[in-house]
Amino acid sequence: MPVNAEKEITKLWKTLQGAQGEICNTYYRWRDFAVEMAGENADPMEIGLKAAEAFGLYIGKGLLPRLNLLKGDEAFLGMVAKQLAGAWANEGAAVRVEPGEKPTEAMIRCDRDPWPTAAKTFGVPMEEVAQAREKMFQAMLVDVSLFFNRKLSIEMLKAIPRGEGEWVFKLSLDQ
Amino acid sequence: MAKQIFEWDYSSYPGAKKYPHLFTPIQIGNLIVPNRIKYAATEDNLNQHDGFVTDADVEYMRRRAEGVVGGLCFMQGVYMDEARKGQGYVGQAACWDDKFIPGLKKLADAIHSQKAVAGFQLMDCGRVGAVEVPVGHGPSAVPQRLRIFKPMAEMTNAEVKEMVKQHVDAAKRGIEAGFDVMEISGIVGYLISNFISSYTNRRTDEYGGDIRGRMQAVVEIIQGVKEAVGPDVPVGIRLCSEELLDDVGGNTPEESMQSYQISEEAGVDYISCTLGWQESIYPVISRDIPQGNWLYLAKRAKEHVKIPIQMAYRIFLPTFPEEAIAKGELDIWEMCRSMIADPLMPKKVLEGREDEIRHCVACNLCLARLFRDAPMTCYINPVCAHEHDPDFFPKEVAEDDKKEVMIVGAGPAGLECAYVAAQRGHEVHVYDKRDILGGTLNEASKAPYGDEELMTCTNFQKTMCEKFGVEFHLGTEVTDALIEDEAPDTVVLATGPVYSALQGAEEDGKKVVNVLDVLSGKAEVGEKVVVWGNRKPGIGVALKLAKEGKKVTLVGKDKSAGFDINPSFKWRYMIYLRQNGVTAYNDCTIAEVGDGEIVVKTKNGYRFPVQCDTIILTERETNEALKATVQSEGIELYVVGDALVPRNLSSAVHDGYRIGLRI
Repeated sequence: MPVNAEKEITKLWKTLQGAQGEICNTYYRWRDFAVEMAGENADPMEIGLKAAEAFGLYIGKGLLPRLNLLKGDEAFLGMVAKQLAGAWANEGAAVRVEPGEKPTEAMIRCDRDPWPTAAKTFGVPMEEVAQAREKMFQAMLVDVSLFFNRKLSIEMLKAIPRGEGEWVFKLSLDQ
Repeated sequence: MAKQIFEWDYSSYPGAKKYPHLFTPIQIGNLIVPNRIKYAATEDNLNQHDGFVTDADVEYMRRRAEGVVGGLCFMQGVYMDEARKGQGYVGQAACWDDKFIPGLKKLADAIHSQKAVAGFQLMDCGRVGAVEVPVGHGPSAVPQRLRIFKPMAEMTNAEVKEMVKQHVDAAKRGIEAGFDVMEISGIVGYLISNFISSYTNRRTDEYGGDIRGRMQAVVEIIQGVKEAVGPDVPVGIRLCSEELLDDVGGNTPEESMQSYQISEEAGVDYISCTLGWQESIYPVISRDIPQGNWLYLAKRAKEHVKIPIQMAYRIFLPTFPEEAIAKGELDIWEMCRSMIADPLMPKKVLEGREDEIRHCVACNLCLARLFRDAPMTCYINPVCAHEHDPDFFPKEVAEDDKKEVMIVGAGPAGLECAYVAAQRGHEVHVYDKRDILGGTLNEASKAPYGDEELMTCTNFQKTMCEKFGVEFHLGTEVTDALIEDEAPDTVVLATGPVYSALQGAEEDGKKVVNVLDVLSGKAEVGEKVVVWGNRKPGIGVALKLAKEGKKVTLVGKDKSAGFDINPSFKWRYMIYLRQNGVTAYNDCTIAEVGDGEIVVKTKNGYRFPVQCDTIILTERETNEALKATVQSEGIELYVVGDALVPRNLSSAVHDGYRIGLRI
């Protein structure tokens, strides 16, 4: 059959990378616009974090149909961790989920992330990139916690934009 | 002293002899109901958007009231708050003010005009409400899982007490309007069920906590309504016997049975046994669930309470409730969809005309329409929601206008058209090249997950055709010459679709086969199958083969598989495709056909090979055969069903019916 698999996959791969890059670029273009509209007295970091929170709330709502309590709380925690990691991976990050020290904890690790690079292009401070990621994850958990009546929390332990080499988040199901 | 509103004597009817338990009276509270039949409250979106009752709804109800032959006939649940948070449907009737009473009285009068018992239902839609306002209300502000529903605000303690009062006030208005029975709706995610469920009630005041606390508002409503309506009016409640919400921490079945017992203690005179919420991830009433599947829940309810138990939910045939009532496992047979499909269904049972029943095919189109703010319609019953419009009923033609009608094709469109035209007085001849009735339904009904029920449509149409004197010419292929010889006044082409060829893959009965031949078992297929076309015919055959262990790939042009299946049923098919390992490539075409594989091309131009030893053609197109001949002969011509535009069974039936009225 006249299908050149390598060519087809390469085409697809490039398109995917392009689309993922556009996610970051579009976000920061809108950020620039919002900062400009907000005026000189506005704090760009505050705007960025507010946007991250809004994005997180919206994405978190979308997780509700994909989660359930059928296999118990630990399995539920694992599902949530995978959903957070999956959402990040869709944006182009290399993310994995690992068990935490306790059954009620899961670790989300990322060692490749396009966001800091894109932020640098747009002159966004690295600390905002770090805090925005944490804020977005926290916001994603709001509706999930409320809907399933479970207390979920997430804590940022390391961040690439802080020069720590990798991102590490600890997701916890509080008893 | 118990009273009976209307006298009925069923002793001379064949149905009463065949189903003696169904046509035996029952006492509910202080009311004697002549039989065990109930049209359960069903939303229809036929009323004004400000809650006033319309003539369309009155006539819709009058027809159902005729159907219950003296039994219980409930109007749709009313919402009771001026703020409209409890309104779940744009055309839902309201009862938050006395100004609604005259309209409601019309409904009660319509039901009474058929000597049926008029039921009134109180229904705050709670979590699935607020259809016209931005925020809904509930016991707790638990987020919505589905974005189509509005965000929730937690009711204050005072608002809960006000909600209880709204129920009591609305009940009084219902009695003033003339209704005989009062019912509280506590099912499928509506407000009362939100209070009862551990999933949605996380309150810490007296209306939350354990099941007794979560039932407190319900108890207050029951007691308040009982007091308001007096001892002569029975008060019932519809309650979930199982919520099917274990994935989100809902009530256990034991808690649900406790809710039944607490309701009985509070004074209800009957319970309608339901199950599942609109948010449940399990199917409950679609065609893939066998009929009678849930009757064990009625039996369990009977073991927990002493008051009468009623139930609907996939009980379409009278044999199920007859047997259950005889065994003491059920008291009253409820119907919703089966009387949407045929409002006179129980009347036909009584009169021994069961073969004239147009059976519901459990597709849930009616629900899909309601959730999308559209008026009720029925997949299989073209008259549904048009009961007020005389133009939707067959009118006899004048002697001079009677025609000789040739209908080509004995599928659902042709047969529907045939009996309606014959009923009006035309001389109707139905031709089909095959020697069986039903057209492609014969094959479609071979698909899994309950599709055999589709043949009930053909059975009904056959009976009606015979009743009205339609002449069948089966095993007769209609040719140009036959049309010229017979020279009918009117020709209706109901020939079904043409199956589209696939470029590079000529149909040979071996490697490339037609969907009908596969479903009927005429064609053999290999182990790796590609189904070309991702609408219902493709999905049906894909699932049939996947269940036989074949590796099936579905390729289709539509953006998502099942474009022609209504959303309330489509989600089931998507799950079945996944469960049976069917890979679906949507928004794709088959670019090339080779030896042992095909090349799939995405809408963006990406290409990839898929191994296969058989290709099944399911794509359809308009059938132009015979049109030119009919037109050249100057004969009146109609084209119906898939021959006009390939669609689904519903379109075939509706096309056929309307053309049957028009000829």
